Amino acid sequence: MSEDTFMGAPRDKIDWAPTIDYTKCNYCMECVKFCPHQVYEVREAEEKRLIVKNPNNCVVFCRACGKTCGPDALSFPNKNETTKKIKEIRKEMEQSE
Amino acid sequence: MSKSYAILPCNGLDKLAGSLSREIALRIAEQTGSEIICPTFYRVSDVLYNKVAAEKPLLVIDGCGTRCAGKLATEKALKVAAKINVAEESKKYNIKLGSSLRLGENELRLCDLLVNNILKDELEDKAGQEVKDTVLMPAEIDYEIYQKDKFVFRLPKEGFYFNENDCWAYVVGNKARIGVTDYVQKSLSDIMFFTPPEIGSEIEQFGEAGAIESGKAVFEIICPVSGVVTAINDELLDYPEYINDNPYEKGWIAELELTDFESDKELLLQFEEYVKIMKRKVDEFHV
Ligand code: SF4
Ligand code: SF4
Repeated sequence: MSEDTFMGAPRDKIDWAPTIDYTKCNYCMECVKFCPHQVYEVREAEEKRLIVKNPNNCVVFCRACGKTCGPDALSFPNKNETTKKIKEIRKEMEQSE
Repeated sequence: MSKSYAILPCNGLDKLAGSLSREIALRIAEQTGSEIICPTFYRVSDVLYNKVAAEKPLLVIDGCGTRCAGKLATEKALKVAAKINVAEESKKYNIKLGSSLRLGENELRLCDLLVNNILKDELEDKAGQEVKDTVLMPAEIDYEIYQKDKFVFRLPKEGFYFNENDCWAYVVGNKARIGVTDYVQKSLSDIMFFTPPEIGSEIEQFGEAGAIESGKAVFEIICPVSGVVTAINDELLDYPEYINDNPYEKGWIAELELTDFESDKELLLQFEEYVKIMKRKVDEFHV
């Protein structure tokens, strides 16, 4: 289940989810098996058999599935920038209160 | 003479990183008198290797994140003394592996580096840099207990900060000790390997402070605070299972000198907030 906030900031304003490099992915589906948050969706009939369906379900700062990926096809945003962004969002929210 | 290992390489023949793991194993064996365990044959029958695996420290060499050799070691309940992951190292040294299955110039350069690291580690071990931990922990920690079926999750009630990524920090003055919560160690189950953060390295809040690994997965320790690493729990190098015993006490991970705790604090949780998150995670994911 997705939480709608992370550290007090609306989750949909925080850009954090894996990106699949389709030139590397071999559709082993290890990442799907690993992640319990329904971030990925497997689509049997399509050319891209795996997509990041629910990016906001991904736990901010988690990169765990990346370590299960043999061909290293998963990448994540920069942590420092995400931290900065969260702090900014929180400041904005405080000011508008 | 360098330490002699039982070397378990992954032997991934359809990937360059796998071929490289074989080459690294060969070179270390030649230079140290170590013995190589063939993973393919080991899977079929273990009698041939039981003796060497029991007598020598185990060096696991994996080509990629699939960690075939690491998983095999877990299956055979072997204790891992040292570990190389070629794909991770190639990123760390910024040496790209080619697309052919044959070892080229770059691959051999990486091979030299990694072999030297293993041989050099030996010397450093002997030099034995003494770094003491200094954060004074409470003599007795008062735990909240949350039970789900036969699993019991502990959480310290006072003095600990948490992040939503299930890591904790205990702060005294300008120093902090960090670790993982019971939720992490229970989800991973038997922890087989601890990769410590480097002493002296600077870690940003939510940066990686080492990793722990079980047969199930690798968990990157997401540092709750920003600072410079001043000590690591080196007992975990020999006994990573201490994290399973108690991740708040003898299974702690590292200590840091804090650089900006006032600002870190904004993004940390106290017991009352984290306990709700932990219970929710346990209810949703723990089976
Ligand atoms: S683990 Fe990596 S290779 Fe396997 S399906 Fe996921 S992204 Fe693709
Ligand atoms: S980073 Fe973590 S939460 Fe996000 S998709 Fe991967 S395993 Fe799931």
